[in-house]
Amino acid sequence: MLYFVARRLVSALSVVLVTLIATFALFFIAPTDPAGAICGDRNCTQERYNEIKQNLHLDKPKVQQFAEYTAGIFVGRDFETSGVVQHCSAPCLGFSFKNDRPVTQMLADRLPVTVSLVAGYAVIVLTIGVYVGSMAAKRRGTFGDRALMTSTLVVSSVPYYIVALMIALYLTILYPILPRGGWTPPSESVGKWFLGLLTPWLVLGIYSCTSYARYSRGSMVETLSEDFIRTARAKGLSDRVVTYKHALRSGLIPVITIFGLDVAGSLAGAIFTERIFDLPGLGVLVLDSLNNYDLPVIMGTVLVASVILVVMNFLVDIAYSIIDPRVRLA
Amino acid sequence: MTIGQPDSTVGVQDHPASAEPVRPATVAHGKSPLRIAMDRLRKDNVAVICAVIILFFILVAVFAPLLSKIEGQDFGTFHPDLVDEYGYPTIGLTPDHWFSVEPKTGRDNFARWVYGARPSLIVAFSATVFGTIVGVVMGLLAGFLGGWVDRVISWIIDFVLSLPYLLFAIALVPIVESMRGGSFNLTPEEQASTRFFVLIFVLSFFGWAGLARIIRGEVLSLREREFVLAAKAIGVPTRQVLFKELLPNLVAPIVISASLSLPAYVTLEAGLSFLGVGLVEPIPSWGQTIANATNWFKADPIYLWLPVVGITALVLALALLGDSIRDAFDPKTRR
Repeated sequence: MLYFVARRLVSALSVVLVTLIATFALFFIAPTDPAGAICGDRNCTQERYNEIKQNLHLDKPKVQQFAEYTAGIFVGRDFETSGVVQHCSAPCLGFSFKNDRPVTQMLADRLPVTVSLVAGYAVIVLTIGVYVGSMAAKRRGTFGDRALMTSTLVVSSVPYYIVALMIALYLTILYPILPRGGWTPPSESVGKWFLGLLTPWLVLGIYSCTSYARYSRGSMVETLSEDFIRTARAKGLSDRVVTYKHALRSGLIPVITIFGLDVAGSLAGAIFTERIFDLPGLGVLVLDSLNNYDLPVIMGTVLVASVILVVMNFLVDIAYSIIDPRVRLA
Repeated sequence: MTIGQPDSTVGVQDHPASAEPVRPATVAHGKSPLRIAMDRLRKDNVAVICAVIILFFILVAVFAPLLSKIEGQDFGTFHPDLVDEYGYPTIGLTPDHWFSVEPKTGRDNFARWVYGARPSLIVAFSATVFGTIVGVVMGLLAGFLGGWVDRVISWIIDFVLSLPYLLFAIALVPIVESMRGGSFNLTPEEQASTRFFVLIFVLSFFGWAGLARIIRGEVLSLREREFVLAAKAIGVPTRQVLFKELLPNLVAPIVISASLSLPAYVTLEAGLSFLGVGLVEPIPSWGQTIANATNWFKADPIYLWLPVVGITALVLALALLGDSIRDAFDPKTRR
């Protein structure tokens, strides 16, 4: 077990390291001009340009820049803007000169929005999605099962942002049946926080329930035909106990695996939901930074998102080997 | 009966005394999996309807100039006389402008819609072709050669699959643009064409890895089979073993993967354009129009609904056809 964990850890770390190098290379070594991008081409004077270049240490060798950037992540570093020295404490992911703030702080501001969104989403898919899927598996082949599976296929084939946008426009603005999306910090007002997130949660959650229902149905159908289920039934256990205690427990394993990766993906991929429902999360931060060429912010977000994905990958692998005794650790 | 012409009646009519009932001549022997799948698809109503819808969109895209000429408009001409001082179009559906005009600019909606089908299809098809070629070659090499080649390629596959592709797609846009001199220095046409190629690159870059992993797994089991051993024994060069012996056995996973990635790419292309990081003016694209139209959806619903219906119908048809294709190739599904 220890050997397996160690090997997975090394492989995960190698991916993180290469991601770090790759993002750095993309943003700073490729023939791009970060200083020019930050300065803006319209009213950029030569002095301002040189100053930015110096402040960002872009005049130093690339290897040194990379070393400084990496060191900044662990111990922090100082930046100088217009004569004022700003300290960017660890973990420092660079400094946004457009906003005059360290990137880490900007990310930390946006993180609660995205985390709230993903948390509510997780609750919905794991309860409704899994429940619907297992119900369909239990009643396999009936009309209800087939109707449900066909409709989930059709719904999940329509692009997500179209569904979300249409609901946002027609059901929250034109006919305000659902509350409008928006962000209020829970520290300010829990009720407003909940109402603002309700529609995004429902839309994102129920749309994704379609695929979760399919996963869990497939997995449950397989589990329900296993020998230990027959044994449990032969013992005279009630149908409910067999389905929800014996079968669900083993049938959920693949669903949990997909869920782990999906949550990591949604932290970065909730962009559409955030944009459509006016939630100032990580995805919107990236889009805004793109519009004003704030490269350090984009780079920091990409890096953080990659690390979250890798960590979740790693945790899922470990969890899988613990939950499922059949997985042999080679 | 002549040798070399495997006709379907062999072994049936010649043995009238056999215990088996004489089957009709149409029951062919030894159909290839591709033939079986095609036969199944032809009987699948959903698949046929979807194929017709897809064909319709392809024809619209191909004949976009002709269609807009029939209407007598083109997608770039401004008609400021057709919008009022607030930007609302003053005309409805008229014989000159079949689906009215765009708010603010007064450009023709129908012409922009037919031209908008083009980038969606071109980007999705090119990305699928590139992604499939790279994925197949990488998977074949990794699975067949094994050893360190396999380890390196497998690591790259894992790496690509663990990247947040949506963020990377967004991040690549400013990088490539500044490589070409910064967005401020590019003409709109240059910027639009840059975005076009960035989109194809990003979609195929993140699309090949999944297929490569599947192909690698298939090759790992295929390469131990007798026909590969036989080919190797008579000295067939590796390249020929890969592409003449192994590749025909991989048709099913390749076709399935391609048919499932097409709708995904159409969705992503329009989605990125909707977010403002995909295609930009002057290329007309559905995603971009949807983004603009959200501001006008109450006053001018047709402006929003045209691209929405286009995207939804196209993606739905592609996705359902992909699903039917997967079922048709799956020997486990019985009809």
